[in-house]
Amino acid sequence: MGVSALRTEHLSKRYGRLLALDDLTLDVAAGEVFGFLGPNGAGKSTTIRLLLGLARPTSGRAWIFDTDAADVAAAHNRLAYVPADVALWPRMTGAEVLDLLARIGPGTDTAYREELIQRFALDVSKPAGTYSTGNRQKVALIAAFATRAPLLVLDEPTSGLDPLMELQFRQAVGVARDNGQTVFLSSHQLAEVEAVCDRVGILRAGELVEVASVAQLRRLHHTEVAATFTGTPPDLAGVHGVHDLHADGGATVRFTLSGSPAAALRALADADVATIVVREQSLEEIFLAYYGQNAQ
Amino acid sequence: MIATTAAAAGPERVLRGLAVRQVRRGALVVTAVCAGMSALVVVGYHSEALDPAALAALARNSAIRTLFGEPVALDQAGGFTVWRTGTVLAVLLGVWAMLAATRITRGEEGAGRWGLLLSGRITLAEAVRQHLGVLAVVPVLVGAATAAAMIAAGVDATGSLLQGTGLAAVGLFFVAVGGVTAQLFASRSAANGAAAAVLVVGLLTRMVGDGVPALAWLRWLSPFGLLALTRPFDSNRGLPVSVLAFAGVLLLALAGRLAARRDVGAAILATAGSRPARTALLGSVPAFAVRRTVRPLAAWSAGIGAYFLLLGLIARSMAEFLTGNPEFATMAAQAGFPALDTVEGYAATLFALLAVPVGVFVAVRLAAVAADENARRLTLLLAAPVTRVRLLAAEAAVAGCAALVLITEAGVAMWAGTAIVHAGLGAGEALAGAWNVVPIVLLCLGAAVLALGWAPRAVAAIGALPAAGGFLWQVLADSVDAPSWIRALSPFAHLAAVPATAPAWVAASVMAGIAAAGVVAGIIGYRRRDLCA
Repeated sequence: MGVSALRTEHLSKRYGRLLALDDLTLDVAAGEVFGFLGPNGAGKSTTIRLLLGLARPTSGRAWIFDTDAADVAAAHNRLAYVPADVALWPRMTGAEVLDLLARIGPGTDTAYREELIQRFALDVSKPAGTYSTGNRQKVALIAAFATRAPLLVLDEPTSGLDPLMELQFRQAVGVARDNGQTVFLSSHQLAEVEAVCDRVGILRAGELVEVASVAQLRRLHHTEVAATFTGTPPDLAGVHGVHDLHADGGATVRFTLSGSPAAALRALADADVATIVVREQSLEEIFLAYYGQNAQ
Repeated sequence: MIATTAAAAGPERVLRGLAVRQVRRGALVVTAVCAGMSALVVVGYHSEALDPAALAALARNSAIRTLFGEPVALDQAGGFTVWRTGTVLAVLLGVWAMLAATRITRGEEGAGRWGLLLSGRITLAEAVRQHLGVLAVVPVLVGAATAAAMIAAGVDATGSLLQGTGLAAVGLFFVAVGGVTAQLFASRSAANGAAAAVLVVGLLTRMVGDGVPALAWLRWLSPFGLLALTRPFDSNRGLPVSVLAFAGVLLLALAGRLAARRDVGAAILATAGSRPARTALLGSVPAFAVRRTVRPLAAWSAGIGAYFLLLGLIARSMAEFLTGNPEFATMAAQAGFPALDTVEGYAATLFALLAVPVGVFVAVRLAAVAADENARRLTLLLAAPVTRVRLLAAEAAVAGCAALVLITEAGVAMWAGTAIVHAGLGAGEALAGAWNVVPIVLLCLGAAVLALGWAPRAVAAIGALPAAGGFLWQVLADSVDAPSWIRALSPFAHLAAVPATAPAWVAASVMAGIAAAGVVAGIIGYRRRDLCA
């Protein structure tokens, strides 16, 4: 792997007795679009607060392009951030906020900013106090995408956007990727992550449980199989890799498959298979499987 | 079942419980201060034989009346206590009441915490009414506790009850003022500003009404004037306090009506719609700090400038009166106003008062930084290449410079007032007297930065402590003849009477040193802690 845009080593954060983040070691390569997933309270926002130097780690370290994340003046020259909950000074207009952020930020492409204002259809002449949640989010998104900073850290940036704006967001991420920018996207919108991310990390109860490409994740996880038979369905119970077996009494058998499919395929081949449908799980289903494990 | 029990409690009761939780701590402190100070001043009163002719002269002197209010029944412990503590406690209670009213209504609504509350069975008007209703009980408790404390300390029950009722009415009035401005303005800071303007105009109206006999009727228009018109321990008039309480009740009803006429999150006075961007002072963190300070600075300087101009205008009359009636000079000294019989002494004594509003100003400006952090408005700034130390240094420096502007302005206003009446105070002397309070303002700045680093929820209270707390401490210590080491705990005890005497450079340096230590410790804490962002 080449240059790291963002790197953490054994990063932990404890709030009193709660271990919000447990020994996170993560490496996001420059130019990558990285999805950061996890249920509420898993430690996603805590991780981002540590990366931005807004909170101090209990142990471990983080780097932004080989600059210690605690060295805010240097590290923040190479990143732009969109918080989950954007709060603005109510009497300042959108244009004034954008002007302020551009002038103290890491440098802004004003022509691209104008284009983004048009694309996100934001009326920047209104005071921020009159903005809805989505409009406040647009201000932060426009400011971040217009910086062309090499790293964009986005914390649930589209939670207040409508589907049309969500599309604009995906396009802006695409433009950022084409420019060689790195995007670190924390999100609940799994379809969005699936659409834009190269790799995802899944966080659960403060621990990183998986880092893989979306395709790898699918391969690593269950495949759903539904087969119908002309004769009596075979008994698949106990066959290696077969789980959640449902035989509806008739000619149809459904099960999920994990690991190597060889044993299951041999068992199926011995029977008269009429039709077979094999479906990979969506990211949402994979995510829910992790969620479910948490509950157990 | 839990759900059934909660529903049976009724939404109004739940709302009242919520309001009580938000005001109980402050209510206890205000009650303790009002009752405690009144009782202590009663106990500490020494009866001195006063010549009736001198008393009449005192009551006629317009300067005395302007500054302290009409002196009434000073030959009794009760009357002296009312004269000594009445205005101070009324201002304290009024400020607390209006700030609490805007905090628990507009503040909570603006922070978005009422959205969930109002999605239930409760209307906005009902929520406003219940919160203000709970808050309105606090001044009644303060008044009752004050009256009880004074009676227990051994003064006449009628006068004590009237003083307690007067305080309660002032408190009620400012709960209502805060409640109304919270409906008129969309932001808590604008609502606070408007309510504070009512308070300052009320104080100035009282001063003018007391000082100029032809305008004595003005006192009927000011809550503080009405409080003075009750004349406890003298003629014990009930009408003014009834007028004040009635005005308070009317305003409370108005607040409920206004709340019913607006949307949640909106205000009666609509915020301007679209407007062109004003991009001045957006270029850097210090410039942005200046931008956010300009508007509050203008409001504070209007109030402070008017007050010190008025003090300048009465300087000559005051000094001449006290030279002619030395027994009152002694009495004023006992009340914490020594050396009023020369213009320089008068200026020195009154400039010391300047530390209180300017110290509070500094504390409030840094509390605004804590509020911005708490509301997550600082997040986008701190995600830019801006270190925390740079942000805090910019905010503290701008607040400090704005305080120097206020101090200088007060000096110029006092000088202008004295120049108009040819009282003979030099411009240099006036500025020296005003600048003499800088160490106390620095203490406030140090305390506020310290609080921002280690106790960000209490920045305003801790920051205002050296000035407001120190002033109350000195008033109390003077009134009860406390031992000198108790007096020395107040920074005011270490101010030289500039321009009457030379500045106390050593004490000023020590205070500046303590302030610097506070700033350093605060910055260390601010660097280390997790930000609420």
